[in-house]
Amino acid sequence: MPVPFESFIPFGIMSAMFVVTGVGINFAQTRRNEGKKPRYSMDDWDRKMMTRDKQLTGTPRGQNDAPVAPPEFKINSSWKVYRSLRNGVL
Amino acid sequence: MVNPGYKHFKGEDWVDPTPPPSDLPHVEEVGATGAPLKSASFVIGSMCKEYNEDFMLCKDEDRNPQHCLREGRKVTRCAIDVLEKIQANCRDEFRAHWQCLDDKNQMFGRCRVPEKTYNECLFKSLGWKKDIPFAPTNKPQIHERTPLA
Repeated sequence: MPVPFESFIPFGIMSAMFVVTGVGINFAQTRRNEGKKPRYSMDDWDRKMMTRDKQLTGTPRGQNDAPVAPPEFKINSSWKVYRSLRNGVL
Repeated sequence: MVNPGYKHFKGEDWVDPTPPPSDLPHVEEVGATGAPLKSASFVIGSMCKEYNEDFMLCKDEDRNPQHCLREGRKVTRCAIDVLEKIQANCRDEFRAHWQCLDDKNQMFGRCRVPEKTYNECLFKSLGWKKDIPFAPTNKPQIHERTPLA
């Protein structure tokens, strides 16, 4: 009995969809993280450390091992300030 | 240096409208980002133990930032000193280790192989040994287990 090749077509389409999804997600995450794998299970320490890294290097995943920071580091920290009803209207 | 989100306004042009008083001694800030700091963390912890504990006890007394400025300066200078020594002696192994950490979500347990060469280099050139505080003494420490864990 010959192989029913017509039934492989939908299987091939479904596998191709999985492959495209996987490649697409990998590409998007790699581009978002400057070529590195994304961070996961981050706690507050890691989030604050990443804000500090962004302040030091300019990009969220940039790393730098100089012992001394550039002189702009002392004054370039910034916080966004919002009006909030919870904290009383500013 | 460009502050993130302010490409039109370079970091060199930023001026502090409320600078710290000029009678405070000047101290440089630590320039290492997350992964190199984590790589050097145990070394900084063992070398700068007294200064760090002084600072924490001082903060425990009073959370006012002005109260602990002097201890804070000592902590920063000690950390900078440790990082400079590591850079002078073991730069390539240090770089390999923190680049591995950066790739692996900053988890020590996934970067044991570069860590081994890094620890050996530190011990050979500076005599520093990585020691996990409060680890149980009846078995080898986790980074010294064989097979590497």
